Amino acid sequence: MGNIRAFTMPKWGIEMTEGTLAEWMVKEGESFTRGQTLCLIETDKITNEVDAEYDSVLRKLIVPAGGEAQPVGALLAVFADADVSDAEVEAFAASFKAADTSVAARKSEAPAPQPEPVAAEAAASAPARIDTNRPISPEALKLAERLGVDLNGVEGSGRGERITYQDVYQASRPAAAPALRGKLDLPLSLESFFASPLAKRLAQLHGVDLAGVKGSGARGRISKADVLALIQPAASQPGAAPFVPGENRPRIEPMDKIRKVVARRLTESKQNVPHFYLRMNVRVDELLALRKTANLVLGAKASINDYLVKAAALALVQHPAVNIQVHGDTIHHFPHADISVAVASPKGLVTPILRSADLMRIDQLAAATRALIKKAQAGKLAYADMDGGTFSVSNLGMFGIDQFDAIINPPQGAILAVGAIARVWGEGADGQGRFESRLSLALSCDHRAIDGAAGAAFMATLRGLIEAPEGLFG
Amino acid sequence: MAKMMYRDAVLKTIAAEMERDSNVVVLGEDIVGGMGTAGGPEAIGGIWSTSTGLYDKFGPSRVIDTPISESTIIGSAAGLALSGKRPIAELMFADFIGVSLDQIWNQIAKFRYMFGGKTRCPAVIRMAYGAGFNAAAQHSQSVHSLLTSMPGLKVVTPSTPADVKGLLAHAIRDDDPVIFLEHKALYGTTGEVPDEDYTVPFGHARLARAGQDVTIVTLGLMTGFCEGVADTLAGEGIGCDVIDLRTTSPLDEEAILDSVEVTGRLVVVDESPPRCSIATDIAALVAQKAFASLKAPPALVTAPHTPIPFARELESAYLPSADKIEAAVRKTLDWR
Repeated sequence: MGNIRAFTMPKWGIEMTEGTLAEWMVKEGESFTRGQTLCLIETDKITNEVDAEYDSVLRKLIVPAGGEAQPVGALLAVFADADVSDAEVEAFAASFKAADTSVAARKSEAPAPQPEPVAAEAAASAPARIDTNRPISPEALKLAERLGVDLNGVEGSGRGERITYQDVYQASRPAAAPALRGKLDLPLSLESFFASPLAKRLAQLHGVDLAGVKGSGARGRISKADVLALIQPAASQPGAAPFVPGENRPRIEPMDKIRKVVARRLTESKQNVPHFYLRMNVRVDELLALRKTANLVLGAKASINDYLVKAAALALVQHPAVNIQVHGDTIHHFPHADISVAVASPKGLVTPILRSADLMRIDQLAAATRALIKKAQAGKLAYADMDGGTFSVSNLGMFGIDQFDAIINPPQGAILAVGAIARVWGEGADGQGRFESRLSLALSCDHRAIDGAAGAAFMATLRGLIEAPEGLFG
Repeated sequence: MAKMMYRDAVLKTIAAEMERDSNVVVLGEDIVGGMGTAGGPEAIGGIWSTSTGLYDKFGPSRVIDTPISESTIIGSAAGLALSGKRPIAELMFADFIGVSLDQIWNQIAKFRYMFGGKTRCPAVIRMAYGAGFNAAAQHSQSVHSLLTSMPGLKVVTPSTPADVKGLLAHAIRDDDPVIFLEHKALYGTTGEVPDEDYTVPFGHARLARAGQDVTIVTLGLMTGFCEGVADTLAGEGIGCDVIDLRTTSPLDEEAILDSVEVTGRLVVVDESPPRCSIATDIAALVAQKAFASLKAPPALVTAPHTPIPFARELESAYLPSADKIEAAVRKTLDWR
């Protein structure tokens, strides 16, 4: 095939996944020499010049300058000596397959079925040709091809991050076995022997009794060899092979927009908003019983969470000090409760809002919630669905979480964290012991706007509404 | 292609570059050797015969015979270079850099860096160096290790007439200061020199012999010694890669590592003393970056850590010789 080489998107550092070709310094058809600058490549961190590793000709330019970002390993151009025909260059470009750029990519590739076993065997025994445009010494490349070392995980220690033989060799080796390191406290009983420090350490490590050992060193000093001779038989027994940790390279995924917004807002909230937490357990036996009946009567499929949201909404209207937003030095009080419901969507946490939840009937609230969840899971929530809100409810009960504290969703003043329902042995009103269903609630409040007493009063009302749920239909 | 002496290659390259570029000027002590004598300015022509005829051809404004003051020579070269000329300053003996070291080390080497890249200092400082002439401790030294340790300087040590032509032309055209070291014992050697105009880029070592059993890294006069040893051992079926560095700054790291990765054995041969030297530098490089390939400890064949003795017997004992190099290669091969 002559001297045809692929020029691919280089990988500078473990975090680089793609790069943008900013400028070509060599035109198609032009020849270049080793050391000459070929192009400028931009990553999100830097712009680097890429220098030629060898003399050749830029025969085919695949990726023009200024286009889209290309993944690491993507074919950018084909280099070949002048005597290589155009047809060969075209064929090379057409048949080029990007080298593996990540562990995940490699693992997802199922082994292709080989119709001819003979050919398959030949392919397996021949070293796989590695196409890389990272600087690498010839011996290092040979070793990598022979051992099948993935060069993407190898850092070059040579000048300009050139990969040396030793870099590939190290990458191919298992992690170093644990060895004698650090200070070892020797018992006094060992200190008294006339032995070298290493011999004492080995004796301590392997539990060898030095009493009666005749040292082979000068003046009968016990040496490393003497101790090793005593522990050798044990060492030669077939023991468990030393543990070799598996490869654990991360799959790097940049945050998408939603994740970035969630990260920024929650960081701001946790750093800037003085949170305090009010926790309590409420009895939900009555609520559970009522839910069955109410759902039957209303023909609704309201969940326990829907009832809790409804209860919170009603309690908020009674406690306007909690039904608020905080904007700088002002506190906005609202007549109605717009409740954000935390929903896990494929793209991360989203908090669509049930507007005027206090005015909704439970069947309306359940239907509205289901519609929002459906929209969230389809990734179709609009900005308007999530903008504003006066309070949040986050429920992890379905995952069996007993209790947790949530981070306030600014500019709101409070968020209610709902845990799982547990059957608990407790004393009933008649003084008799019995099992009851209990639910853990934790209210996170912004202390700038909500005082402990105001939060507690809200929680007391909430408890009343949940434990005597008839009030939810008032 | 013509046979040419090393010193003639120096002279002809300077003349050709002066012809090519009117900014090239030369200056140094006694470079117009006959100045003031009955025979006229060109009667003698420099003590190394590397400037004969330049004065007649280019005149006193481009061929400047200076007083005996190295700091003047190098200081003038620095000023000329800053003002757009391409000076070639000659120090008669490399040992004399001491009195001009401030100009070299603190000025020339740092101009470009300290002025934020807004100026260039395209000065070439030629020096004759090396032992073997019974010239004692102050006229025999090798200074490439010292100068290589100074960032901002390029250091060139040609070993053949062909390399003199290519490397000197490159040095004169280079926009950075270049120390060009000519070994006194090589001035009289001859070799084939291509007729056409060419330059040899810096940082590209020459593979003088290819063998694949042992890597010998060397430079200057020692290259010939090592080639001789390689040829002798080739007769026994022992192959030596002889790498002539050509430039110690920049250093062709890749050539050294590529060879050692094949051979697993390294012998560095250098005539400068061994402490903090190019030889220890290369041994360290290989220990750091090719440890996995080594089959024997790197061996150094250098002068001892002493001034160069005057007595002929002592001086020949001082310098690396073919016997010492051969012994080092064999010891490396026999390593168990």
